[in-house]
Order: sequence, then structure tokens, then C-alpha cells
Amino acid sequence: MKSKVRILIGIVALSVGALLPGMIAAQNPQPPPRSSQTSARAAAYETAKEVIVVGTVVSYSESSMSRPNGTHVLVKTPNGNIDVHLGPASYLRANNFSLAAGDSVRFVGAISSTESGSVLLARIAQKGSQALAIRSTKGFLLAAGAPRTLPQAQRAQSTQNGSAR
Amino acid sequence: MNTSARRLSALLVLIPLSFFAAACGGGGSTPPPPPPPSGKFSNASLSGQYAFSMTGTELCGGVGSLFTRIGTFTADGNGNITTGLEDVNVCPGTSTLQFSGGRYSIGGDGRGVLQLANNTGTTDYNIALSTTSAGMIIQTDAAATASGSFQRQTASAFTNAAISGGYVFDFNGVDVNGSNVNPASYIGRFDADGAGGVGNGLYDSNIGGTASGQQAFPSGAFYSLDSNGNGTNYGRGTAVIAGRTCAFYVVDSTRLKFLTTDFPSALAGDAYAQQNIAFTPSSLNGSFAFLIGGSSSNGPITTAGRFSADGNGNISNVILDENNSGTVTLLPTGTVTGSYTVDSNQFGGGTVSWTDSTVGTFSFIFYLISPTKAVFQEVDSNIVSDGTFTAQTTTPITAASMAGDFVLGWSAIANAEEDYVGQFTLNSSGSATGLADFNVFSAGQPFLAVPLSGTLTVGGDGTGANTFEATLQGNSPLHFTAYAVDPNTVLLVGTDNNIVIAGPLVRQP
Repeated sequence: MKSKVRILIGIVALSVGALLPGMIAAQNPQPPPRSSQTSARAAAYETAKEVIVVGTVVSYSESSMSRPNGTHVLVKTPNGNIDVHLGPASYLRANNFSLAAGDSVRFVGAISSTESGSVLLARIAQKGSQALAIRSTKGFLLAAGAPRTLPQAQRAQSTQNGSAR
Repeated sequence: MNTSARRLSALLVLIPLSFFAAACGGGGSTPPPPPPPSGKFSNASLSGQYAFSMTGTELCGGVGSLFTRIGTFTADGNGNITTGLEDVNVCPGTSTLQFSGGRYSIGGDGRGVLQLANNTGTTDYNIALSTTSAGMIIQTDAAATASGSFQRQTASAFTNAAISGGYVFDFNGVDVNGSNVNPASYIGRFDADGAGGVGNGLYDSNIGGTASGQQAFPSGAFYSLDSNGNGTNYGRGTAVIAGRTCAFYVVDSTRLKFLTTDFPSALAGDAYAQQNIAFTPSSLNGSFAFLIGGSSSNGPITTAGRFSADGNGNISNVILDENNSGTVTLLPTGTVTGSYTVDSNQFGGGTVSWTDSTVGTFSFIFYLISPTKAVFQEVDSNIVSDGTFTAQTTTPITAASMAGDFVLGWSAIANAEEDYVGQFTLNSSGSATGLADFNVFSAGQPFLAVPLSGTLTVGGDGTGANTFEATLQGNSPLHFTAYAVDPNTVLLVGTDNNIVIAGPLVRQP
């Protein structure tokens, strides 16, 4: 997000803006009306409608343009391709869970609809013998709170690594 | 933390240390100290005892994890932190830590850096003063980012007797019950009897999208300022509120800062003195702006907007922006109808719901602090989100009336948590220029004194959906919808698809 290239671009834009504020304002396009900017509300996770998806990874993206934000994996199944949402990439990496095209995978989750189409909100992701809980049984991402359930020794390691409190 | 991360952390600690060294001068080859900052603020602006509260993300077992901290520091008005105390609910557990010292420096624009030292090391913060009594704060360490606020304490309120009357509270964070980990929100109210007793305790929790409905406090509720000196010196106490074990710090008799200590769960929030009146439906009459945030099954979510209540149970003029992990939904899209109730027990609790004929229904719980302010909790399926609503001014707002100096305090989730403070000047045409400081957890480093430019566009009478575009140099523009409470406070919600961001703008004097 904070690459040097983008910083340079930002400096140029700011300089031009400082010199010619009136011109920039005049050339700025008007924002589109609010009514054209809205999307249907993102559907909720319905536990009662959980499904199992088994297939082969077609593609894997840690910063997909698809909604919800986060990691998405496209899975080829006998019924067609399915977009699967896995949440923050950092959580997957921390749990040594990685996927690549051609991997055989299994997901448990619920289908949700977004502006970019249907997506499986994964609760459990499995590759081979490795299974990772992505969401709670209520459908919420575990990433922000799950580390608190780690064994004491593993949590204490954070302090030993020198983080001040 | 790996070696490179430790090195990065060490380097980052040096940045504010160097700043302090320059500010304080030195001998030998050290350059002469810079001239005193020009502007409204200086080190003297931060003087006395301040209570703070923050929620953020830290590294825990190699992955980002929610943590909370509340506490107090004493600033001497000359760049030194002389004492302080804090409670943290962090990866290894909960603890109460004494500050052994620290340093700070405030620029003329009210932005500043703060270091707090305890026996675990030194933590770094950037702050933005809205007045000499309050401000926004973010933690800017490499392995931890957080955001929150601080307010000057009133030491005469550091007694049980000063905590008396009704209080409305809003706690949020994460609830851990065995292997069940879910976002959680508690809002409610209680009466403090001035002697540590708690009565008429009521709350509504939303844990993992399951709303409790209004509940009475379980037995065992209490509050007590510490008797070991931490109470009288720092305003620290312990309490059980809504069944959650807490530490708290007194700001003054009208505001308390809470943190739950029932690890591995972690919640934090404030309690506000409740106006002593019998609340009825007529108590809610006028236009209100709101900002809430939390989690949905899609990921982070934030919603801001405004609505009108007629004092008779009807809601109208609903406008809102919801950013649900990148899916942005705006109201009105179809026809919106709504209603509200206020509890017959007259303790100020109630419900609000509205339905957009195209989008669907939004449902909330509230507890009124007064007829002009309430804590606000969404209770729609698979959403845990809370915040406040506040009465909007009845005077039209224009770009010209908004002109002046503002501080910002935003929290965001992009790839991971990001926290922002800053200060800018808004001219009568709506153009903003200033500086911002922000910490990006996924980058493992803060970005300091980044030039900010932007534009506030006010439409209609200014109480609807205005827009604010802000560009932090070197970054893509951030697009917000801006809901004005009045000319002094604006609530922002981001409408970009790649980041969920929200927070207020607060006018400086």
C-alpha cells in the first residue's frame, strides 16, 4: 500500500494541486449520485444452510477484488467453479495454511451473495490432513480472537520476543 | 517475533527518541534545538492526569490478535511523564502495570508523540489534542497498533462516593468461551449508590450475532475504587458489570473507562453518567447522527448515518452508509419506514428499526444517556456492531460554517488493522490541508507526519450525507460519507471497497 512509486505519484499530484487549485477543482468530475453507488446488502452466514465443497484449486488470491475483502480461492467442482472466502491472509500464513492451483481441497461453509456474485464463506478449510478453522460455529472470522485460545506457553512467547506492554 | 521484526521494532523506537532529543537540545555536535512550535498547542498543553482507553491488534502467536488497554498518565507540561498506571488485556493475559516514566512532545497543531515506560519496556503513541483536556491516541509500535481517546481526569472524583447515580455503558471486543471465539457487544445501564453498590442493572449483549434481549445484571455486581493507593492516586478501581469482571479508571464523575479482565475474553468501553429523568418515547425527538462499528460474518463492518424520531414512536428521514467488508450499501434505496420504542421501565432502553423496501431491515437497541445522546447496538443477524447516536444541530451546516481546525481519529481494517490520528485546517470552501500519523499493522511500521489534503463537500442543509475525500500523500484517496453532528463534530464512514474505515472529526478551539 505504501510503495515508493505511489509516494512519488502522490508528490507530483500534490505539487500540481498546490500550484493550480482552481484548475484542479474545475477539472474534478462530479461524484456519481448516491443512488448509483449502492450495493445490495451482504447476506448473512446461515448456519442451517452449511454445505461441503470438494474440488480442486483453480486460483488463489490473498488480495482479491471480490467481496468480502480478504483471501479468495476459486475451486473447481463437479458443479462448476465456486468462489470461497477465507478471511485475512495473515491468519492463514500464521497457521501455515497455503493453497496453490491444483491442490485438492475441502471446505465447510455457507453460501452468501455479494455484489460480485455468490461466495462460500468458509468455516473450515482442509487440504490433505490439514484442517483449519476459519470461522466460529456462528459464522464469524476467528482471526482476531483465536490466538487468545492458544496454550499459555505459545502466548507467552510473544512477551519473550520483546514486545513491550 | 523474528530477527528482522525485532530490528524493525528497535529502529522505530529510535524515531521518537530522536525527536525528543532534538526537542530538548543537547551538547556537543547535537544541532541547536528548533524554535518553539508555532500554533495553538505546545508541551504545556498536555498537563495533568489523563485517562486513556484503546483497542487494537497485537502479534500473538505470530498472528494479529485483539487487545485492550486502559490507564492513566501524568504529564508535567514540560515533556515528561511523571507517573501513571495501566491495565492491559493482552496475549499473555491481564496485568496492571506502573509507568516508571516517559516523554512526550506536542506540536503547534496539537499533534504529538508520547512514550510510556513500564517494566516490560516502552510503548509508543501518537496523539492529536482536540483541546488541552482531551484528544485522540493511537499506538504506533511495530508489533501493536491501537486507537482510542484520552481525557483529563478530575482527582476529586477518585472516590466511591463520586460514582453515584445512573450510568450508561458500551463495551465491545471479543468473547471467548472455550473454543468458541466471537465478537461481542454489551450495552446497558446501572445505578451506582455512591458506596460501591450497583442496582437496576440492565444490559443487552450481542455475542456472535446472538442478541440476548434485555437482561438484568447477574448477582454480584459492584464497583470499588482500589484501596491500595491506586484508587486515590490514579482513579483505578474494579467492578463487575453485566456479569463481566472489570478494571476501570475514573475520568470524572460523569465518565468511567472500563476493560474486562476475564481473559481470554477482552472487552473495553466507557460508561457515561445518565441524566436523571424518566425516559419515555417523547424523550427521543429530533434528528440524530450515528456511527457504529464491529464485525459481520463477512469481516469488519461499519455504518454511519442519520435518522429523525418524532417523539411518538416513528422514525423518518433515514440516510446511512454501511461498509460490510467492502460491500457498500446506501440508504435510502427504496422507501424507508421505521419505528422505535422506549422501555416502559423508564430506564432509557429501547429499540429502533427501519426497513428499506429494496434493501431490507436494520434493527438496533439503544440506551439513552440523555435525550440527545445514546449508546447504540445493531442486532441484525450475523452482525455485532455498536457505537453512539447524538442529536444533530437544528442550524443548517455549510462549508463556511465548518471552516476551522480539526483533529481526526480513524480506525480501519484493510489487509489488517490501521489506526490514524491527525490535524488539518478546513477553509470556507471545504478544502483541507494538514498532517496525519498512522500505523499499519500489516506493514509493521507507522507513517508519521504524512501530508493530508482533502475536500469536504456539504450538501443540502448539511445534516444529510455529505462527502469527504482525503488523500494521505503517497496513498490512494480515501472516500468518506460525512454525517455532521454539528459544526464541531463530523462522523465519517469510508465508502471504498478495499478498506473499512471510520471515525470522527473534532474541532479544535
